[in-house]
Amino acid sequence: MWQQLRRRFGGPLAVAIVSLMGIWLIAMVLLPQWQMIDYSFHPSLLPAERGGVKDVWTLANYATFFDNDIHLAIFFKTIWSSVLVTALTLLVSYPLAYYLAKVATPGQAALCLLLLIIPFWINEILRTFAWYIIFAFRGPLNELLLALGWIDRPIRFLNGDTGVLVGMVYAYILFMVFPLYNAIESLDTNQIRAARDLGAGWGRTHRRIVIPHAKPGIATGCIMTFMLAAGSYAVPALLGSPGSRWFTQIIYNWFFEGGDWNQGAAYAFLLLVLCIAFVSIIMRVFKVGLGDIAK
Amino acid sequence: MDGRVSLSQVAMRFGDFTAIQPTSLEIESGEFFSFLGPSGCGKTTLLNMISGFLTPSEGSVAIGGTDMTRVPVNRRPTAMIFQNLALFPLMSVYQNIEFGLEVRGIDRQKRRRRADELLELVALGGSGDKPVAELSGGQKQRIAIARALAVEPRVLLLDEPLSALDLKLRQHMRTELKAIQRKTGITFIYITHDQGEALTMSDRVAVMSEGRIQQVADPMTLYRHPQTDFVANFVGENNRFPGRVMAIEGDEVTLDAGLSAPLRGHSMTPLEPGDSATLYIRPEQWRLGAADDRCLPLAGVIQTEHFEGAWLTLEVELNQGPMIRAQVPQMAAGADTQVPLRVGSACRLGYSSRQAVVLAGAVHEPTSEEVVDVAATA
Repeated sequence: MWQQLRRRFGGPLAVAIVSLMGIWLIAMVLLPQWQMIDYSFHPSLLPAERGGVKDVWTLANYATFFDNDIHLAIFFKTIWSSVLVTALTLLVSYPLAYYLAKVATPGQAALCLLLLIIPFWINEILRTFAWYIIFAFRGPLNELLLALGWIDRPIRFLNGDTGVLVGMVYAYILFMVFPLYNAIESLDTNQIRAARDLGAGWGRTHRRIVIPHAKPGIATGCIMTFMLAAGSYAVPALLGSPGSRWFTQIIYNWFFEGGDWNQGAAYAFLLLVLCIAFVSIIMRVFKVGLGDIAK
Repeated sequence: MDGRVSLSQVAMRFGDFTAIQPTSLEIESGEFFSFLGPSGCGKTTLLNMISGFLTPSEGSVAIGGTDMTRVPVNRRPTAMIFQNLALFPLMSVYQNIEFGLEVRGIDRQKRRRRADELLELVALGGSGDKPVAELSGGQKQRIAIARALAVEPRVLLLDEPLSALDLKLRQHMRTELKAIQRKTGITFIYITHDQGEALTMSDRVAVMSEGRIQQVADPMTLYRHPQTDFVANFVGENNRFPGRVMAIEGDEVTLDAGLSAPLRGHSMTPLEPGDSATLYIRPEQWRLGAADDRCLPLAGVIQTEHFEGAWLTLEVELNQGPMIRAQVPQMAAGADTQVPLRVGSACRLGYSSRQAVVLAGAVHEPTSEEVVDVAATA
């Protein structure tokens, strides 16, 4: 890679590019992460006590987590809900991606993609607020359902997990649709036609032909959606109720309300480990390598 | 097994564009039938209506006497071989061949037995466990045939399946396809723009142009008795002489084409003296000297000469007439002829009125200036 860069940009520029990448990786990714891990294994101390006798390596921050049933419950609930969000997003995105890639005319596909992208020009907080308004007790959704006569009295959507799930599916749908669209689009349409011609119904055609081909795209989309969901803060904070707290909110509280960065770092590190584990499991289940995902 | 295909007044429109003009056609059970035409003539659209990928805008499609117009593609007794074959790349050869049987809920053992039989039929026994990606072009072709035959279709549809192969393999596969068709007795409907393929394999050929069937006939009739100007020019080569009818005796027509002598040929359609008509003579129908005592030979000057083994191809500019192509047997052009055939030398070319075809209507022949113009703008 170094040789290639030097040939293309010349020595000095190549050095500059490589050092910028190095600085980025070291200063913005590795050092802060290392600092966090380091924090997580130390007790929370006053500035004066740092480096003193009390500043020792400890697992106390992790013990706090495993001793706290509520935090454990929220942790697993977050994971479970993120899996649910991922599954729901996949369920919504697959037909959409298939339509865009194989059914729509180029004009229709372009229009659809534009309609999908435009909302993403608005920031996530505002989009989430929009759902907050829609789901409100006296909001438009309840009014509509009442007017249609489907319900007798308004539903508290924002009380359970409904709001959080819907909000997240909406917030992350593009991260699922695009990898799926790319994967399905690259499938030779004659393969679908051949399966149909040999007698396969639509269900079997998708199960045997389209989905196996789109597997790397499905894996990429699931990984991205899961990571974003598990690490989300704004959506659960706005659309969730006290009963549907997200683990990120606990981490936030340790850092900024508890003022205990060391405790927060331990919690954040646990979430990171879990996400990496999830990604590896998904890759194992879908039998895809890192190379497939990078495609 | 009844593999008759009947199209009655089928038409296909895409918006304002008419891809297929209302067309009726009967294809016999067990026939090797080809649709021949240039790209964009509508032959693939017609095939898609038979397979069920397209529903005709008008008319109906019946297979084996049963109306199929509204039957979806997966419920039709047809199987298609795609131009790019469309084998399933993530599956093995066995899985590919067994796909259609699996869909029909046939148990594993029966499926495997059938797949093995078909692999024998296409001379690829023992390669069932190979991944599809490991096969050569010709082998993929055979697997595609086996996969389509596995579902025991009444009609096999072939969409230019040989076009991706090299010349030698293509010629070999022609023989093989024909043999498979004979062995299985299934109706084959073959789409191609290659007249060689259509003429060598087919029992009957439909020549298509601009969404219309121009002529349906067996290959020999198609070549000898073209019914339209398009067929006369698309199938084989032809020299065209537009002119005016002078006299008619039975089916023999005498035509004034502005040449040194009147031309004679036969016509299948009734003509009247004074009608405009075109006479066609194929390059290989010319003879050096007189061929028929009723037709005066035409005199001209040889412009180019190509030796092609058995044939000598000449381009001759007729006196006060157009440039024509003639293929004469190399033997006839040899030492025993008095006149040596050299570029620049004069020659006389005769033909037989029995072989020359006359069709009604004059065809506009571009003049040499127009040809130059076209060349300049291109």
